[in-house]
Amino acid sequence: MSNAFAPGSPFRIAPNRNRAAMLATLLATMQVVGCQSSGPAPDTVRNTGQTAPADLQLTCASAAATPLGVDSAAVLPVSSSQLDAQTFQVVLESGGARANCIVDTSGNVISVQKV
Amino acid sequence: MAFLPQSRGRTFGAKIAACLALGVAVCATLAYAAETQIFDPKTRKWVEYDRKKARSYYAAHKQVPEAFRRQIVKFRTAEKPGTIIIDGNQHFLYLVQPDFTAIRYGIGVGREGFGWAGMVKVGRTAEWPTWTPPAEMVARDPNARKWAGGQPGGPDNPLGARALYLYQGDQDTIYRIHGTPEPWTIGLDVSSGCIRMNNDDITDLHSRVAVGAKVIVLMQGASLYKGV
Repeated sequence: MSNAFAPGSPFRIAPNRNRAAMLATLLATMQVVGCQSSGPAPDTVRNTGQTAPADLQLTCASAAATPLGVDSAAVLPVSSSQLDAQTFQVVLESGGARANCIVDTSGNVISVQKV
Repeated sequence: MAFLPQSRGRTFGAKIAACLALGVAVCATLAYAAETQIFDPKTRKWVEYDRKKARSYYAAHKQVPEAFRRQIVKFRTAEKPGTIIIDGNQHFLYLVQPDFTAIRYGIGVGREGFGWAGMVKVGRTAEWPTWTPPAEMVARDPNARKWAGGQPGGPDNPLGARALYLYQGDQDTIYRIHGTPEPWTIGLDVSSGCIRMNNDDITDLHSRVAVGAKVIVLMQGASLYKGV
């Protein structure tokens, strides 16, 4: 039985070219798709205020209870802002006392200090 | 515990009176620089999601943008299931569920008014509540005049299908969470100074919330709070 794809066969070059062409096409397609998929999805909404997500604010409220010497149910976030891509600052208040809390986007409290 | 408020323009008393007269919603400050934007797929740019844009979007899609539709989200909190958290900055209301999740609803909040944050509770609820326009609205708006004695509940009533009345202890705070006949205003800082949900959402929330449920209202604005 002859093997058209055996080493030395003149037919071996063509499939390799096809494969190379297919690979190039695939890579090019992936690049295009990659470009198209970058950026927000259509109709995505955002708020430019960049306050901390609600659950992170509440995480800080719980963490601030001890330094403020109160029950966590009595601590309320009163302002927040984004420090960088990974962290937010949350200001908390309870009975006139305040605390500053730094929390990351994963919900880890980095620091909390009474002020 | 409620932290009240920062007067902006009108006096606090006048605003309280206005809210009392309106009988509507949680009034809250939104006079900070942030704005809601939507990504336009045609221009591939962020554009302001204002009243005009919201209305045209709703007309085209018959619903608000996906972010403002009711959905289950991750929500890391120690608060008990059944607790309501209001984040006016992002125009979201969360109803805490088990396993660190919450049902998130889109809300509309007031452009004018005053900063307000606090921990209150649902004191009572109402289905298809009556709306009574404030005296100043009755005086200037012929359409409101006919409802001076109270507009019965119904699909055109500004309070929508349901209202949750927020109490501090046994006292009515005058703040409410309610429905609206203008569903396209969800996600906006609307001019009435009050918080609203679309009627399907407030009906859903009403069905899930018990009288006595804790409500946490987060301060709106990045750094507006200046003291009790």
